[in-house]
Amino acid sequence: MEITFWGVRGSIPSPGAEFNRYGGNTPCVSIRTRQGALVILDAGTGITVLGRSLMTTGFGHGAGRATLLLTHAHWDHIQGFPFFAPVFIPGNRFTIYGPSESPSMVEGLLEGQMDPHFSPIHTLRNLGATIQVLATQDGVTFRVDDLQVTGRINPHGSYSALAYRLEQDGQQVVYAPDAGYNGEPSPQTQELYHGASVLIHDCTYTGPDQRARRSRGQSSIEEAAHVAAMCQVKSLVMFHYDQDYTDQQVDGLRDRCREYLDREPGGKAIELVAAAEGLTLHTD
Amino acid sequence: MQIRFWGVRGSFPVPGSTTNRVGGNTSCVQVCPDDGTVLVIDAGTGIRKLGQQLMTGPCGQGAGLVHLLISHTHWDHIQGIPFFAPLYQAGNQVKIYARQQDVQLETIFCSQTKDPYFPVSLSDVAASISFSALIEGESFTVGDTRVRCARLNHPFISIGYRIDADGASLAYVSDTAPFDRILFGRQFIAGRPDLDSPPREDAAKLQAMRQGVVELCRGCDLVVYDTMFRMHEYLARPHWGHSSPEHALELVHEAGARCLALFHHAPDRSDDEVEQDVQTARGRARCKVFAAEEGAVFDVGDGARRVD
Repeated sequence: MEITFWGVRGSIPSPGAEFNRYGGNTPCVSIRTRQGALVILDAGTGITVLGRSLMTTGFGHGAGRATLLLTHAHWDHIQGFPFFAPVFIPGNRFTIYGPSESPSMVEGLLEGQMDPHFSPIHTLRNLGATIQVLATQDGVTFRVDDLQVTGRINPHGSYSALAYRLEQDGQQVVYAPDAGYNGEPSPQTQELYHGASVLIHDCTYTGPDQRARRSRGQSSIEEAAHVAAMCQVKSLVMFHYDQDYTDQQVDGLRDRCREYLDREPGGKAIELVAAAEGLTLHTD
Repeated sequence: MQIRFWGVRGSFPVPGSTTNRVGGNTSCVQVCPDDGTVLVIDAGTGIRKLGQQLMTGPCGQGAGLVHLLISHTHWDHIQGIPFFAPLYQAGNQVKIYARQQDVQLETIFCSQTKDPYFPVSLSDVAASISFSALIEGESFTVGDTRVRCARLNHPFISIGYRIDADGASLAYVSDTAPFDRILFGRQFIAGRPDLDSPPREDAAKLQAMRQGVVELCRGCDLVVYDTMFRMHEYLARPHWGHSSPEHALELVHEAGARCLALFHHAPDRSDDEVEQDVQTARGRARCKVFAAEEGAVFDVGDGARRVD
């Protein structure tokens, strides 16, 4: 699988020269499968940059197809969707999964975003592309093209967010951008993360900042390092940085996260990457 | 009176190295009359940093009073509200003004923060919030400052503002299309209309609306204007509800205003392209022209001069 990062920032986009290297866009990650299928994780403002790039491919003339997996409906994970250029092109086809009991509730969330008070689009039905909206829930496994996908619910402040595990040919990518554990992750979540080739994990805060803002339901770099080691992942990717952390501060987070990993049993063997806009990783 | 730009971008925020100078945050402008009144126009992502700065003053002690004028409630003009720090300090007062709608303003603004979109509801924040529904043409005072509003030509209807204080005047005209082809209201317009001129009844309404905006800008020291499009982009997408620098200049000239600030830059417009647009506009302008840039501060009065 080929993983590309289009937005790595939490809460709200951070424009400014001091954020250029890691990037200021809110969450969006794309996965290209072995057979060339496209899966998009979340629709923060990073998806606008992905969209511009896709418009030079089949998506530019209505021959594109992709699946969008939403972890939850906080603004920073959906705010780029109305500006994702390929959804305006007739012929393109998108399947959108969101965490809910019913597809109509997921559709309702997206319709709320398109409401004419807030958006000139008025309704999803005015988008040119063909869009199918589906719901998924805790513990459900489904197929997306040549991938097997499983979602698990993590606590996230007053709310919750899905984490997704994507598997293909013995390679596993786990995407867990928003996780505010009450102590340790649940056994089910640990199982979801276990042995992953790549774990993209919430690293919003330093330890002290996280403890001062615990109600926000985000992880610290210590917690991410601990969880990565406990679940014996091969590679940990830091993600969802606080909107005020500059590039220099994120460099520091990465160095400290490495130290935390090295202190964990088995942690020295885990590769550490700090996600940055434009970065591409391969699982094999 | 001064003006400070906190967010100058249209549609959505655009972080990245090609927007560092002009800025990537969505629309937010602070107007600073000499009496210290805190007057803000629009609440795009730029309002977050304004909020941080206000917290170093009375807002940090819960003694702040903020007047927030909203042009319309499209996301790029309100998406910063949940990140406006003074809202989370008890004792602060935030007065929000916006055009009257089909439902109460409070209902519209609170739906931005309802579950599951945002973890803290606007109705639960510590500060006290009040809403004032404005009718176009209405005028009111805030301290020694006079505020007037006029209808603009934009999907679901926006309003422009004129601020008069300290013997100076400025107008904020964003978002708006020109007033000649399409009359925007509450309808959805799917594509570029076939006709280059609207039905006669609409043409009369557009003419009246245009006259209202000319009067709003009449003799202003500074006009901040939606110039999201270059002319060829406008001609391809007249139904999106935005103007070009040429449209802005025509109106500003007629109103006899002193300076034009190009504003609400398109998300994909680079710093260099904005500079080109300024040079092109200067070539045909009979007033001073500059681009609104994040962080820029201007003295307003007898024209406008950058002072930061």
